[in-house]
Amino acid sequence: MKYFLVISLSILVCLAHCKFAIEEVDEFEEFEELPRTEPDLKLKDDSSPILEKAEAEVTVEDDDEFEHFNDEEEFEGFDTERLHVDDKDPKITIASVPVPFHTKWSNYIMETLLIVGIVAYFANFFYGRSKNAQLADIWFKTHKSLLEDNFSLVGDDGKIEIENSGLIKETESTYTLWCSGRTCCEGMLVELKFIKRQDLASMLNQFLRPVKDEVQIKVDMNKEDMDTFVFCVASKKTAARCSKEMADLSVFCPERKPGANYGLTDSFSVHSELAEVSSSILDAKTVNYINKYSDVIDCLHFSDRYSGLKLTDETAVPTKLPAVKKVLIFTFTIPTDKYTDPQEAISTIYPLMSFIFQCMERIKRLRISKEAKIKAEKNRLRVEEAFLKTTHAARAEAAAARKEEKKKLEKERILKEDPEKQRKWEEKEMKRQQRKKAPRMKQLKVKSM
Amino acid sequence: MYSNHSTDPRRPDKEHRYKPKAVNSDNQALTPGEDLTSDYMNILGMILSMCGLLMKFKWAAWCAMFCSCISFANSKASDDNKQIFSSFMLSMSAIVMSYLQNAHPMSPPWSTAFG
Repeated sequence: MKYFLVISLSILVCLAHCKFAIEEVDEFEEFEELPRTEPDLKLKDDSSPILEKAEAEVTVEDDDEFEHFNDEEEFEGFDTERLHVDDKDPKITIASVPVPFHTKWSNYIMETLLIVGIVAYFANFFYGRSKNAQLADIWFKTHKSLLEDNFSLVGDDGKIEIENSGLIKETESTYTLWCSGRTCCEGMLVELKFIKRQDLASMLNQFLRPVKDEVQIKVDMNKEDMDTFVFCVASKKTAARCSKEMADLSVFCPERKPGANYGLTDSFSVHSELAEVSSSILDAKTVNYINKYSDVIDCLHFSDRYSGLKLTDETAVPTKLPAVKKVLIFTFTIPTDKYTDPQEAISTIYPLMSFIFQCMERIKRLRISKEAKIKAEKNRLRVEEAFLKTTHAARAEAAAARKEEKKKLEKERILKEDPEKQRKWEEKEMKRQQRKKAPRMKQLKVKSM
Repeated sequence: MYSNHSTDPRRPDKEHRYKPKAVNSDNQALTPGEDLTSDYMNILGMILSMCGLLMKFKWAAWCAMFCSCISFANSKASDDNKQIFSSFMLSMSAIVMSYLQNAHPMSPPWSTAFG
């Protein structure tokens, strides 16, 4: 029974505790719930007007305080702000910066044009090269039989054993042929100078300065088969150039005469050292022949003092006269611009090869008169003297250099031979130097009485 | 082989061998009238290649390539091919290097900006 009482008492105490706790919770609830809802407040406190006013004020304040939560404008950019907060994380990440470049082939206009230009250049190179080679081949085939009838050696490459007995290619536009073994001459060098068809830049330059295909034939005459004279018939343009550039023409016959004086067409000019020579070379038959081929004959240059082009480099003054040769130079243009077929163009200049052989025979037979010979000799002497005068300083310098070199060699020889001799030579040399330096006056020795 | 007829101008006993023109070396003066286009273009190509390589001028590298082409087209048969080959290689390397450094295309001259 006692136990029952104790248990029931404890239960009562527990219940009492629980009730108190519930009451406490309720009390706090009232405080918490007070500001929450307006209608509840109104229902509970209807009696006092002061409270009503206060409540009204409270409600107004409540409206102002939380109104911005409903305002949409207040939350503008809220998401981006949150992103910024995220960026502030300590985690470091290196952003991969994309290259601001797009591989669009359409952007490479210039590069494409340049590559096309290079391809075009090479295409033109192969085309031009084959065209020049074709022209050279046709020329050689056309003239081969005539050359073989006149020369015992046709085609020489200069090697000990002739490997190539045809044309020699110097460049893609220049071919040469050497012929030798004939009367009157030591040899004949044929140079085919074509337009640089292989070079696109030169082809474009053709529009500004047109150039023609040329054949230049240089005949080296035997010394005894040509007399002393310088003579030239050339088209006006070429004559003007040659008289400036060619050493022999500029010195021996700078005076240019119109071709009409000799019965030639107006397109020709004549340079002649001796009047006698020009009249005998330009006889009626030759004049007719030159006039007939006036469009292909560019220059006929006969000279016993041929030394090539004038030296333009003034810094290097030559100390001796350049080597001279007796030559006949014929320059013909190939009319490739008039004939589309290269065979036809070359056939037009074929008769001129026979003209060259005729000229060689005529020059061999041509002998100038005594007066003309004396005049020519005088001219050569005058030119030589003038040259010696101009090169006096250079020759003196060269002589001094030679003397110095000789002395040096002697010294080296003595040094090698004997030390005694060397000492003596040095003493001698020193005395000589002292004598040079000493003032020039007589030394008087006064003997003591 | 040859007839002794007086009209035959051939004289095998008077044959002279061909002496090619002296090849220019350092101690020899240049023959006047010689075509020096190839040499000039070679030098110009080298200078432009160096401009392309060192200063990254793309136009200079391309010009060097064209200079090498002209030098090649005007070269003599007796010329050293190694020199022409090296000129080509230099200009090509100038182009490659300038585009490796900056792969942007060249601006055409008709546009305002110059690249």
